[in-house]
Amino acid sequence: MTQREIVLHASGVKKSYRIARRELPILHGCDLALARGERLALMGPSGAGKSTFLHVLGLLDRPTSGSVRIEGVDAWSLSQDERARMRNVRLGFVFQFYHLVAELTAVENVLLPAMIRHSSYSFDREKTQLTERAVDLLTRFGLQERLKHRPPQLSGGERQRVALARALFHDPPILIADEPTGNLDRETGERVLELLFNEQLERKLSLLLVTHDERLAARCERVARMDAGRVHDGLLSAR
Amino acid sequence: MNSVLGEGMSWGVVLQFALALSGFAIFALLVVFVAYLLMRLLFLAVPAPAVVRFLSWRYLIHRPTNLIGVVGIFLGTGALIMILSIMTGFLEETRRSMRGSLSDLILALPGTEPPSRPWDAEKILEVVRADPRVEAASAHLTWPCFLTREGGNSLMMLSDPQRSQYAFVQLAGIDENDEKSSTSFHQSLIAPPNYGESVSDPTRPFAPPPEYDPSMGIPRASVILGDQLYNVHRLSRGDFVTLIIPVRDPESEYGFAAKEREFVVAGSFRSSENEMDLERVYIERGQLARFMAGANEEDPLPKNAMNVSQILIKLRDYERDSKAVAAELGDTLRSRRLIDRSCELKTWEEFRGSLLGAIENERVLLGIMLSLVLLVACFTVFAILSMMVSEKRRDIGILTALGATPQLSLMVFLAIGFWDALIGAVLGASTGVVLALTIDDIERWLSNALGVQIFNRNVYIFDSIPSVVTPIAVAAIVLGAFVCTLIFAAIPAWRAARLEPVDALRNE
Repeated sequence: MTQREIVLHASGVKKSYRIARRELPILHGCDLALARGERLALMGPSGAGKSTFLHVLGLLDRPTSGSVRIEGVDAWSLSQDERARMRNVRLGFVFQFYHLVAELTAVENVLLPAMIRHSSYSFDREKTQLTERAVDLLTRFGLQERLKHRPPQLSGGERQRVALARALFHDPPILIADEPTGNLDRETGERVLELLFNEQLERKLSLLLVTHDERLAARCERVARMDAGRVHDGLLSAR
Repeated sequence: MNSVLGEGMSWGVVLQFALALSGFAIFALLVVFVAYLLMRLLFLAVPAPAVVRFLSWRYLIHRPTNLIGVVGIFLGTGALIMILSIMTGFLEETRRSMRGSLSDLILALPGTEPPSRPWDAEKILEVVRADPRVEAASAHLTWPCFLTREGGNSLMMLSDPQRSQYAFVQLAGIDENDEKSSTSFHQSLIAPPNYGESVSDPTRPFAPPPEYDPSMGIPRASVILGDQLYNVHRLSRGDFVTLIIPVRDPESEYGFAAKEREFVVAGSFRSSENEMDLERVYIERGQLARFMAGANEEDPLPKNAMNVSQILIKLRDYERDSKAVAAELGDTLRSRRLIDRSCELKTWEEFRGSLLGAIENERVLLGIMLSLVLLVACFTVFAILSMMVSEKRRDIGILTALGATPQLSLMVFLAIGFWDALIGAVLGASTGVVLALTIDDIERWLSNALGVQIFNRNVYIFDSIPSVVTPIAVAAIVLGAFVCTLIFAAIPAWRAARLEPVDALRNE
């Protein structure tokens, strides 16, 4: 078997919070590797530290120690601006609660990453192409009738599809999904998953999927388990 | 139908109000639109991400509470500009009227003791007029005086000094032709009187009035009274008034005696200064000198009679020359022994310094008080933005996850403050300027519409509400509103930048 390229590599990630002068450890040295085009499920009971680990991997929360390499670059040693840029173009996020901006329409929500990336001047100049791209993505996800709707006017499944389109706007190599179907009923969730897996295969996305659902985990190539701040089977060496 | 609205108001007026209001609403929308275009243009020049402009505008229009901040800034700047313009107008109008009756420079000549000769007005005027920077000069002889209607006299006054028929006035002896060119005397003669009657011939103001026939009885000299004084004594042209003046009398036990004489009323004048209209009586300078010296109206002026107490000088360029001319003329006159050390040459501003200072003080105080309104408005912006930052924690987390830096979150909220300031200040400044420029018409219209007189033009001597819009003041107020709002907006914006994104994103 050929050596697969690792796009996301966390090693020895520790994280503890200081609450009322006491050190409260959450992660006790977690290792995880995600290969290009791989679909990895991360499972674990509540309170195992999944969210915290995800935030460290997603460059939102600085680890107490350890490193996170994204496509070979030690992300936490970069400057704040470079790390923000990495979140913008190299990482995609899908959250359990969609996290759309209520004041913006579906298209505008999908355009958010572009608005963060471009200055007013270049955004205005390229607005037509960018909007076209956002509309294409939404059409692909079956939302062509919902382009100008705001999140409160959309159903849960529709919202999650908008969120997925937003995460994929810059065509990032890595997608982190935190229980993307956790808030949806079975049928709707299934439709979202179908879209997600389709995109993953087509774009050769590396997908890190956090879930509670064993059956969903079974549809992934590999399953890592988290328990009490530790990750089991996080690395590829088992193969 | 009118019973609902009260007297003096009709549906037509209500319609006018509605029209004015809707006109303002259209204007406000236009300003918001212009502000938006302005901001778009501005942001093209700033390397801030597009989301700052986009999201701040969305937050602004989707949160009507933001309007409170905008309205606050609007009211603050509008009121400040309007009130300060009116105060500046008052100040300038008052200065103008004071200057009008005073001319530019005043040479005060205190009375001389008998052994020495009185000041020679003609020679002084000759020297003063020889200066090329002087446009005109005139001599005044002013003297304190009691005035009463026909029939009163000094004995009656002493027996009952509280009787209101006696007015303490300032008798100003002038030369009518000199006076026209150096002060606003002529204008005050032709100004339409509020209460009195103009003189019959302004070119010869001291000529006997047509109502009086000088061939009947003893000849009498004419006096012209201030508009309000005229009214207080219910005089009309051709009436007689008795003037009672104190004069030096070495033979009297107290060194002075009272002299009284009857004069004929030639008419009234109206200056733009209250005090003058209430207290001044004009008379020919020669006639006053004769009165004081005890000579008859038709006698030649007695030698060595006091005939001048002030020289009023009008300059060609007051701003440029006043100080220099005051110093140089004083020196020249002193070196020629026409005046001595006790005679002071002052500018009219020095002469009336305390009153001008009081109005200026009032203006500054009002400015400070109204700035507090603006400060409160800025505080509202602060409160609303603080609320919004708490409310939008999740959005800040989302933006961060999508690649925003903390600075970007800061800019989004700062930009909301900027919108508030831009719309509020532009709207406030334009409304304030328009109101300041049209305040007189607005007041007239409102007074008509409501049937209540808001600005009593007789109380202030102005014919219209004065207002002067100074562009620098407007610019300073707008800039102040901007700086203040941005400082207050920066605090919640800074808090937004310090938020931990993960706290905001954590699943509930």
